[in-house]
Amino acid sequence: MAVLDGADLAIETRGLRKTYRSVRGRSVGVEGLDLRVPVGGVHGFLGPNGSGKTTTIRMLLGLVRPDRGTATIFGHEVPKRLPEVVGRVGAIVESPKFFPSFSARRNLLLLADGIGAPRARVDAVLDEVGLTGRAKDRYKGYSLGMKQRLAIAATLLKDPDLLIFDEPTNGLDPAGIREIRQTMRGLADQGKTVLVSSHILAEVEQIADTVSIVARGRLVASGRVADLIGEGAGASSVRVRVAPEDTTIATSVLESGGLLVRREHDALLVDGAGDAAQVNRALGERGVWVRELTPMQADLESVFLGLTAHETPGGHTHRGERTKRGGPPPEPAHSAQPGPTTEVGA
Amino acid sequence: MMRLLRVELRRLWARRVTRWASAVVLLLVALGAFTAYQTAKPPSAQQIAEAKQFYADELEWWESEGEQAVAECAEGAEAEGMTPAEWGCENMEPRLENYLPPTQTFVPSAEQLEESSGAAEAAPEGEEPAPNAAAVQEIQQSVWHDWGGLGTLDELAALLLMVALVVGVSFVTAEVNSGSMGMWLTFEPRRRRVYWSKAAAAALGTVPLVAVGFGLLVGTSYAAYASFDALGTMTGDVWVQVAGFAGRLVAAGALAAVIGVALGILLKHAAAAVGLVAAGVWASAVFAYPLGELQRWLPTTNVTAWLNGGNVFVVDDCAPDADGMFVCTQAEHVVTAGQGGLYLLVAGVVIALLSVVVFRRRDVS
Repeated sequence: MAVLDGADLAIETRGLRKTYRSVRGRSVGVEGLDLRVPVGGVHGFLGPNGSGKTTTIRMLLGLVRPDRGTATIFGHEVPKRLPEVVGRVGAIVESPKFFPSFSARRNLLLLADGIGAPRARVDAVLDEVGLTGRAKDRYKGYSLGMKQRLAIAATLLKDPDLLIFDEPTNGLDPAGIREIRQTMRGLADQGKTVLVSSHILAEVEQIADTVSIVARGRLVASGRVADLIGEGAGASSVRVRVAPEDTTIATSVLESGGLLVRREHDALLVDGAGDAAQVNRALGERGVWVRELTPMQADLESVFLGLTAHETPGGHTHRGERTKRGGPPPEPAHSAQPGPTTEVGA
Repeated sequence: MMRLLRVELRRLWARRVTRWASAVVLLLVALGAFTAYQTAKPPSAQQIAEAKQFYADELEWWESEGEQAVAECAEGAEAEGMTPAEWGCENMEPRLENYLPPTQTFVPSAEQLEESSGAAEAAPEGEEPAPNAAAVQEIQQSVWHDWGGLGTLDELAALLLMVALVVGVSFVTAEVNSGSMGMWLTFEPRRRRVYWSKAAAAALGTVPLVAVGFGLLVGTSYAAYASFDALGTMTGDVWVQVAGFAGRLVAAGALAAVIGVALGILLKHAAAAVGLVAAGVWASAVFAYPLGELQRWLPTTNVTAWLNGGNVFVVDDCAPDADGMFVCTQAEHVVTAGQGGLYLLVAGVVIALLSVVVFRRRDVS
């Protein structure tokens, strides 16, 4: 079926379900999630806020009990056999928590003593995340980026094979985001498996080898990033701007060529055009001169938005949000609704 | 497990709340020392002069009116069907010591202990002494029975238990609410181990707090009385009683910390856990007497029994007499130290086990 099926799996969940009860009733956090994270590389775990990413991670780490379904880490069923495999797993769930009045080094020494890691490992991991020079500073004086790096250092104390980072760049400035991104990529390049949940698509796209996209607690797509984007590229759009008096005729020309045309403000969006030159030629032959012609390449964000449309709280899509290019967001390349999983791969 | 315990102990002692708790203990010690100084201090020359003047005035009145006052007293006693001695008519003559400010010694005198225990009072004629009379007397003759400087320390010492409980509560609620509990569980997912390491750390970590606190309380109080040469009759038995109290207090302090951890896990908020205990203590103090025999099962009754080597509570025993009049007498009931200790142990174990079950099953944010 998908590329992830044949691979050795670091994480696998089947039919994972979690509901929360409150005075306002029950709400579903995760609904029958089937997740597969291959060993090695960075795996992006994507979804809108409230789609169940953190709940899934918490279930994997034994912090939250699933109502139904199974989860394994390196073949060990969790949470039942988590103690057997926890030494191979480092995780940061949401914000890191350390003693504010302790130095970074003292905080890590405490953790190292708790898990029986050698004390020399503390200096090694501080060096690995670039905090050696600030190791004796109190944690409360750290910037957000430094706190996050210290959290990563804490996860590395065990020299884990699997690292799970839940929204690791929340609240960081661009430099901090880049640092964390580089760190995660570097860890994957060392042969570790990195699972990173995020809703910042551009960030994940740059470092992830594979992704899983969830919406409303269900998996809606998974596969290699290149494959997901590649499928989107096949259905990419072209934005065309012509003189206002030519808009009607341009629409007619393109539709008669079998293309799907939509108005977007003063421009036309031509879906499935494939080649922008084809659009240009068709219009030129009918005497309609193009003022602007922009190929809209699919990216992970457009794939994500297409798959998770109507899944964000309130039922709105992410249209209008900032895109990687900074301009108006492209139309979703897909219109898949949640339900059957869209698996992409070889 | 030992590794976890060491780490938790380091965490406990690094916490600001633990340092604040140490400061509160020192405050209690200062309060105890001040109280001891005030009660051990002999009356000043001015106080003695004022007392003598008042005594002289009363003596003058006694010489002119005393006989008539005694006669009226005897009439009153007769009307009530009592002897003049029972009515207190033989002790009406003014005495200088009654007008001097009260002073006490570190250890009560034998006379004071007898007076407090009621040993001097014989059972009413024709009546058998109560079956627990000996036990009541033994408890009331202990040095902790509010006579002397030592007897005033037990209530301050009991406050050390509250300090231990707060340390235990805060130790876990801070971690639960900050999210660091979740982070720790990603390192050590065996929740039972995590729980017991925290409970054990709270228990062991508060031992020095309670032990040193009590040692300082006794030491400063002793020094205050000694400075006024008011120690009383210090015997080896007194020190045995002090050591016994200290041992029981330290054990209760450790248990209080464990109960604090358990309540913190169950209720998740420090204010809720401490408030629940404070409300229970208050309610026990206010509503104990109307509960009658049920006082035996109050936590405060049993804590006092455990610490003081036994506790006596009073219950109204009301019944109609031969004339159909409803007459109430007060019966004294005993809770032994053993019963109090067993009660606390069972209560602590039940709360802790309940808390473990909840901690193992609860989702951690």
